[in-house]
Amino acid sequence: MKIALVAVALAAIAAPLPAYSQAAPATQGVKTDEQILYRQVMTDKRAVFAQNLQLTEAESRAFWPVYDEYEGKLKKVNDQFLALVDDYAAKFGSITDADATAMLKKKMALEKQRDDLKQVYTKKVAKVLPPIKALRYAQVETRINNMIRSDVYSLIPIAQ
Amino acid sequence: MKNLKLALAATALLATGLPYAAQAQSTYDDQQQLIAQLQADKRAVVLKAMALDDAQVAAFTPIYDAYQADRKLLMQRGVDLLNAYASNYDSMTDDAAKSLLKDWLKLQKDEDALVEKYVKRFDKALPTTKVLRFVQVENKLNTLLRLPGIQAIPLAK
Repeated sequence: MKIALVAVALAAIAAPLPAYSQAAPATQGVKTDEQILYRQVMTDKRAVFAQNLQLTEAESRAFWPVYDEYEGKLKKVNDQFLALVDDYAAKFGSITDADATAMLKKKMALEKQRDDLKQVYTKKVAKVLPPIKALRYAQVETRINNMIRSDVYSLIPIAQ
Repeated sequence: MKNLKLALAATALLATGLPYAAQAQSTYDDQQQLIAQLQADKRAVVLKAMALDDAQVAAFTPIYDAYQADRKLLMQRGVDLLNAYASNYDSMTDDAAKSLLKDWLKLQKDEDALVEKYVKRFDKALPTTKVLRFVQVENKLNTLLRLPGIQAIPLAK
């Protein structure tokens, strides 16, 4: 799972990013590499939010704990998704209906968890930030998610 | 403001999945026509990508068309939401921002629920490998189609 490309994709987001994100090393698909790169993506994502939200000190104190809690929970879901993609890659070309049933069930469950987290934490952010900044947060989150999804989906071959 | 409204009218459709932003006009009829065009094009791409046999096509298409009809309603809500965003953009109030965020979260929730509902219906009519394929194709297409529109919409100020 080449998350390096995801890290690079973040560089294309409208806000300027630190130079290191554009020079993310190519991963060898090893789990430790995935974790390192995931942390890099999350670091870059944090920088994108900091750049785009322009929070006051008081807003920062209220926002970042909620954001970090969200990212912590999201990471658990994303780790499961990466494990699912690894499983899919290992079986690709010989996926049985039983495999597909289990994978589809898992994928739909993970999507639901991800969507639910987004709903819950966007509402939490809306409670601690002024409404216009909360709307801006939701827009930036959507941009980042779509960038990441676009790259992740482009790496996963369609089931045969 | 006029330029922003035009840009948003165009990207409104993109954000909900339309690749013809340059042709988009902010009139209801044009939006409907463009949504119909997108759905026709998308249907052709999905059918090709699914690689179904004749029996599977017969099982798949009625469910897919029902899915598209439901999705069209959500796309129209997305267009309406972005038109409202454009109208408020230059003088966004706290109340308008709250209302837009609430409507957008509801739309997201309804989109997620729609996919979940139809995956279950497809799974009763097709081999699960094909349903998995549908989810992958649908995710790829929706993400690719949304991306330019979402990136083009200016952030709230």
